[in-house]
Amino acid sequence: MRLAAMAIALALAVTSCGEGSETITIYSGRTENLIGPLLDEFSDSTGIDVEVRYGQSADLALLIDQEGDRSPADVFISQSPGAVGFLAGNDRLAPIGEGVLDLVPAEFRNSDGKWVGMSGRVRVIVYNEDLVDPSELPDSILELTAERFRGRVAVAPANGSFQDFVTAMRETTGDDATLEWLEGLVANDAQTYTNNSSIVQAVGRGDVPMGLVNHYYNLRAQAEDPGVVSQNYFFPDGDIGSLLIATAAGVISTTDDAELADRFVEFMLSPAAQEFLSEETFEYPLASGIQSPDGLPPLSSIDVATYDFDRLGGGLERTKELIDESGLESS
Amino acid sequence: MRVGSKAPERSPSAAGLSRRLAWSGALVAAIGLIFLFPLGFLLWETVALGDDLWGTLLSRRAMVPLAKSLLIATTTAVACAVLGTTLAVLVARTNLPGRRVLRVVLALPLAIPSFVGATALLAAFGPGALITALPRPEGFWGALVVLTLLSYPYVYLPVLSRLRSTAPSLEEAARQLGSTPRRTLLRIVMPQLRSAIAAGTLLVLLYGLSDFGAVSLMRYDTITRAIFSSRLFDRATSLTLGLLLAVLALVVVAAERAIVSRRREISTVGRRQPVYGLGRLRGPAAVLVVVVLGAALVTPIAVFVVWILRGSATIGSEFAGFGDGLGFLVSPVVNSILASVAAGIGAAAIVLPVALAEVRRRTLLADASAVAVTSVFALPGLVVALAVVFWAIQAPAPLAGLYQSFPLLILGYVLHFGAQSLRSSQAAIAAIPEQIDAAARTLGVGPRRRLLELDLPLMAPGLIAGAGLVMLSTLKELPATLLLAPIGFQTLATKTWGAAEDGFYAEVGATALVLVALSALLTWLLVLRPELSR
Repeated sequence: MRLAAMAIALALAVTSCGEGSETITIYSGRTENLIGPLLDEFSDSTGIDVEVRYGQSADLALLIDQEGDRSPADVFISQSPGAVGFLAGNDRLAPIGEGVLDLVPAEFRNSDGKWVGMSGRVRVIVYNEDLVDPSELPDSILELTAERFRGRVAVAPANGSFQDFVTAMRETTGDDATLEWLEGLVANDAQTYTNNSSIVQAVGRGDVPMGLVNHYYNLRAQAEDPGVVSQNYFFPDGDIGSLLIATAAGVISTTDDAELADRFVEFMLSPAAQEFLSEETFEYPLASGIQSPDGLPPLSSIDVATYDFDRLGGGLERTKELIDESGLESS
Repeated sequence: MRVGSKAPERSPSAAGLSRRLAWSGALVAAIGLIFLFPLGFLLWETVALGDDLWGTLLSRRAMVPLAKSLLIATTTAVACAVLGTTLAVLVARTNLPGRRVLRVVLALPLAIPSFVGATALLAAFGPGALITALPRPEGFWGALVVLTLLSYPYVYLPVLSRLRSTAPSLEEAARQLGSTPRRTLLRIVMPQLRSAIAAGTLLVLLYGLSDFGAVSLMRYDTITRAIFSSRLFDRATSLTLGLLLAVLALVVVAAERAIVSRRREISTVGRRQPVYGLGRLRGPAAVLVVVVLGAALVTPIAVFVVWILRGSATIGSEFAGFGDGLGFLVSPVVNSILASVAAGIGAAAIVLPVALAEVRRRTLLADASAVAVTSVFALPGLVVALAVVFWAIQAPAPLAGLYQSFPLLILGYVLHFGAQSLRSSQAAIAAIPEQIDAAARTLGVGPRRRLLELDLPLMAPGLIAGAGLVMLSTLKELPATLLLAPIGFQTLATKTWGAAEDGFYAEVGATALVLVALSALLTWLLVLRPELSR
């Protein structure tokens, strides 16, 4: 008992220090490795204390929604447009200041100014170079339902970025064609995995020859182990298969200091922060005028359209329905 | 034991007794109600969202994963019952070489978060992995193997603890009457382990229902996948399926209580327990232990080391996550210790009144509270965490200040893992001979002194074992820690998750290794050493 009381007292003491100076609270769907150094830099250069809660974007979005008017969060950083779109749809986000929004081209931000893209990950095929000849890779993602890909393609239908891709596909090809493609994947014995990382590893081991993922994961795998035999393949000619998935920032509507929140978002879009995202985390910086990472195809060759998920009819709810209807998830 | 010492306390008057019973009843009811928070949250939200409840429940996308959840949970429970019991008997009651060290080491797989364990075993076995001669763990069988290897300690620890308090006199009598060691173990010792085995097996069953990490990586599609994948864009379905799981857990827990008879088992303390020679079984027994530890502990550790070496060789320390050496682990280690020890003690303390009332009074209320406490363990951690948020956010002013505080985090752990402590406590209380309490009462020893000087020392091994399970579960807990902790409060588990989420495997290896080492240290210091030194 006494031990528990001591533990509680100690923890309270630990958590209550640092009050008094200006503080900003971030809920971050980006993990510490991918954003921590930037938060430190913001804190060092402004003298503002940064408090951060890490978690999966979807879980943090649920948390903010559940917290409602009592949310301590000032800013939400999301790994996918879906999670910020969910909050925008539930009126949990405040418009970001014009001056900050303008740092990013219009196609990379929400039309109501509720969220702004920071960096981008691109949908690719990751393939095992021992099992797949690059020449057999398709020009379009729509070809993956063809017989020659039977049983050879891995997908992660429960994953946010796959769902974001399906939403984009619905907008370009319509719901019927999208459902047909999803059902085609099921009929073609597509292999389902739980997330991007597990697909990249399975492809690296040769469990499955190729899979649909974000480009980041294989670059990370190569950084940890140069011996991996998995490679990224970008779909050519602006095919929707290589959609850009924006990571995004939004200001929580209940923030008590919108100016400070805007200032933080502005910092994330500054050249220094954007270069970190490009150089250290292999992502496409989205603020105007910042170079793409070395060794990656330029943004101009990629289908860069982003989608206002909050404006789509039915949005991600409808996407989820289609995925359920196709039976892809439970195959 | 100083039972007969002078105790000049007033004898309880009838009015005093009934007042005490009423208080204890209210306490037990209050505890049961707190454990109904998650169910209340699911009910409230499901109704508020106005989902087509029956349509969702009876649909193919609910029923198929649900059947798979039940299949994996029951088979894992049976496998863990056999494995956990066998291992506990081997290290507690036989002349197996190295049994003292093995007692601690065999508990450790429980400290490995299931998503880390599953990732490591995928990287270890199969074509293209480290050990290519063995098949890749995948699908139902993969999930069964991985879950069994990571959760047999739920049976092993309570049984080990029970084995240290069985009555040696029965065994001595049997031996003197010419019973062989094997027969004595099977006919005399095993029956005394029944409630401990049942307790652990139920925990495994409930854990199997709640797991998401291992089954999803094994690509075995269960109800938790459906709950997770629909949590943001089809909340109605997600919550309805969560409700289904919660109700199923209540049914399973209630059914177990109806089926497994609660027989009194005699317990002693401070007696040396007999040790049996394994004879020709020594070889096979050693092989079993080596295989289990090899797969459940040595293999993941080897994979962690490979990740660390590979990562630090290719990228150096700079962007492998350890910019400033291992200093980044200091505060997560401290936080992990604080949280897990507080949760262990908190759980043991909070469920004790329920356990006492259930065993001693056997009222319907105590039964109902115990069912509520136990069933929460079958829910995914995310559901429990969101339920705590839901209630804490609506709480009136003074309580509302607890939101995202350390005590609320501990409450989240206690809600989720209280079942682990409850079953061990029940077994421990049931094992106290009624005569001792009756004798003390006759001698005029008051209830408080009976509890402190008689019951608690006798119960201690069971209480400590239960608190130990909660402690190990808390060390690896993720969703509640991420959502409920005071802001900035990181543990080894959240560090490991963060590194794994974005493919920083060298860092995953480092944090997971420290997590296992810390678990070993805490298990030995707080759970096994006090018990062994008794």
